[in-house]
Amino acid sequence: MWQLAYRQLTAEPLRALLTACAVAAAIAVILVLRGFEQGLYAQLEQAVRARGAPLFVAQAGVSNFIAVRSSLPQLSRGQVEAVAGVAEAHPVTGFFVTYGPEGNRTPIYLLVHDTLGGPSGIVQGEPIRAARDAVIDAGLARRYGLRPGDPLIISDFRFRVAGITRGQSAMLTPFVFIGYDGMIDLFLESEIAPDLSTFPLLSFLLIELAPGAQAEAVALSIERAVPEADVFTSDELAANDVALGRELFSPIMGALIGLAYLIGILVVGLIVYADTIARRRAYGVMKALGFRLRHMLATVSAQTLMVLVLAWPLGLGIALAVAGAIETLAPVYRVYVLEPAGLAWAAAGVLAMALAGAALPLRVVARADPTIAFQAE
Amino acid sequence: MLRWLLKTLWLQKASLVASAAGVAGAFVLVVILQAVFAGEARQMVAYARHAPADVWVMQRGVLNMHMANSFVWAWKAKRIAALPGVRAATPILYSGVLVRMRGRTMLAYAVGLEPGAHRAGPWAMAAGKAMPGPGEIVLPRVFAAMTGIGLGAQVGLTDKRLEVVGLSEGTYSMANPVVFVAASDLADLMQAAGTVSYILVEAEPGQDAAALAARIEREVAKVTALPKERFTRNDVQLGMQMGAEIIAFMTLIGSGLAAVIIAFTAYSQVARRRRELAIAKALGVRNREIYAAVGVQTALITGLGLLLALLAAWGLFPLLSALVPQITLELTAGALGRAAAVALVVAAISAWIPARYVARVDPLTAFKG
Repeated sequence: MWQLAYRQLTAEPLRALLTACAVAAAIAVILVLRGFEQGLYAQLEQAVRARGAPLFVAQAGVSNFIAVRSSLPQLSRGQVEAVAGVAEAHPVTGFFVTYGPEGNRTPIYLLVHDTLGGPSGIVQGEPIRAARDAVIDAGLARRYGLRPGDPLIISDFRFRVAGITRGQSAMLTPFVFIGYDGMIDLFLESEIAPDLSTFPLLSFLLIELAPGAQAEAVALSIERAVPEADVFTSDELAANDVALGRELFSPIMGALIGLAYLIGILVVGLIVYADTIARRRAYGVMKALGFRLRHMLATVSAQTLMVLVLAWPLGLGIALAVAGAIETLAPVYRVYVLEPAGLAWAAAGVLAMALAGAALPLRVVARADPTIAFQAE
Repeated sequence: MLRWLLKTLWLQKASLVASAAGVAGAFVLVVILQAVFAGEARQMVAYARHAPADVWVMQRGVLNMHMANSFVWAWKAKRIAALPGVRAATPILYSGVLVRMRGRTMLAYAVGLEPGAHRAGPWAMAAGKAMPGPGEIVLPRVFAAMTGIGLGAQVGLTDKRLEVVGLSEGTYSMANPVVFVAASDLADLMQAAGTVSYILVEAEPGQDAAALAARIEREVAKVTALPKERFTRNDVQLGMQMGAEIIAFMTLIGSGLAAVIIAFTAYSQVARRRRELAIAKALGVRNREIYAAVGVQTALITGLGLLLALLAAWGLFPLLSALVPQITLELTAGALGRAAAVALVVAAISAWIPARYVARVDPLTAFKG
């Protein structure tokens, strides 16, 4: 059976290749869409983890890092640093603003840091050294053609692009890192707010633990000492942000991925159907030679599985290539194709595709007429 | 030659329909993805479209609402209200917030309403009252449908507990659901006493909005004033910008899928008729004519696929909206035009493989047994 299926496939290699390519493209669509969704969540997780702190202190009632306003009293830093087990509390502030000329604006997340929480891994240029310096994500640099040394005008205030970093974006929004001096200058010199009090100067405190201190115990002590604050481990905060991302993106991504699965099954089924119709005469010959229906169905199934064996790595390759192209050309996105759970789901979907694809041509195979098998076409 | 190919296609109806359906599948995904972003971008500006403002006034440098931060001194609303050509100026506070309901946390944008600012509130209600007082909140009906909460329920807004007093219609979008609270509650959360986010300016009858916006910018310092159309257009553009690249890539991959399916079908058709093609060549039919016939064949499959895709999309839109109420779908003329243009390119590329095959058919094979 396997040998017969193999020979049928290799008898017309171009047709087999085109079939495999079509199935591979369907697999790639699923993997890219799923990878895109996983990438959204991975970016949210990374946005927390890249700050480099085991504990985060937020305003009481705030349980997320991104997309939410948190405002801590200025005095809380001293109160937190007085807690046993805290080596240092590093301030960070973040808020969304829009950037770019009218007609080509994009939201950016302005992340203000002091001694911890800045950009990790600068790929071009240098770190922040002066008040007007900014390090921008490659996604923003690519979208607006920005390079180190270029001006970065935010709310009429002129920053300088000091460096470019990668992988620092979330919620389809690139990050821009500035220092506290830059933020104060921005507030005072630009029109960004009527007065400083309208923007939180201290959103979160990143906690550096003293040697030997236990994160959970320190978190409890901080919450006791500073009632207007809530404390989270980086795992908790990252999980909260991922949950928020799922709440936001999963309905639409679920619908699109579900649709991609359906279309994938349809494509595989139709391709196998068309291929089986094209080989109708061969099945007629098999019938005339005494092959039973189940043998022919097994051959069709084997053929489908062989196509899938060829198509899966090809589809994975196309998906990885597309993901690479997306991340290079539009670095604000991350397409996480090789996420294990995503691959497992896609593999299960592809298996379902194979079963559906093999079931679809049953009627054609069953009706193959042995009497016309030897007639010239 | 063309007639022969069309007849061949007609004889293989099942194969033709199967291929067209496959092509349609590839295009459906692209069309729906575009419709999702277009629908979301339109729904994102639902509040800006419905709010009673001919001119929007905001902090200088801010040009839109979604993901923007705007702060203007509250006294400027009174200054604007006194300008000639202004019928009313209604200030609102606006900020991104997290709403906690039954263990779920949703991202939303809160509009803080001053007492009596009815017209800046929700424009259609499913239940309850439209104007929230202190300690109260009006949620989009979709939130209630998603979480099962109703009027009288308590929800969390950062560290505040608010009572749901109304459920509004048309205020939900995936990226920008709008909730309404009392301005005093939102000012507390934002620590923004004495400031507002936007001022909604209604013009006197006959007053040109663009001229009024220019007058406001001249008379009031440090503000940007935009006519409603320009303001909402900026938000739509921002929404589309956020998904532009991903739509482009998905269009590319969907088109690639369609191209392979069409090439597969066209190749299958000509490969099966190899001997007939050889006879045609032996009888003097030139390659050029055969290429033209193959081109028409691929165009036909592509056109049929595109048509089926559009029909499927029309059928799927209400189904998807019913199954996933969070999404808003909109099929624009631009999206249809782009799909048709892509289909043309796909047809041209897909014709290449069968055409190359045809060119290699040797007329001598016609006389072999």
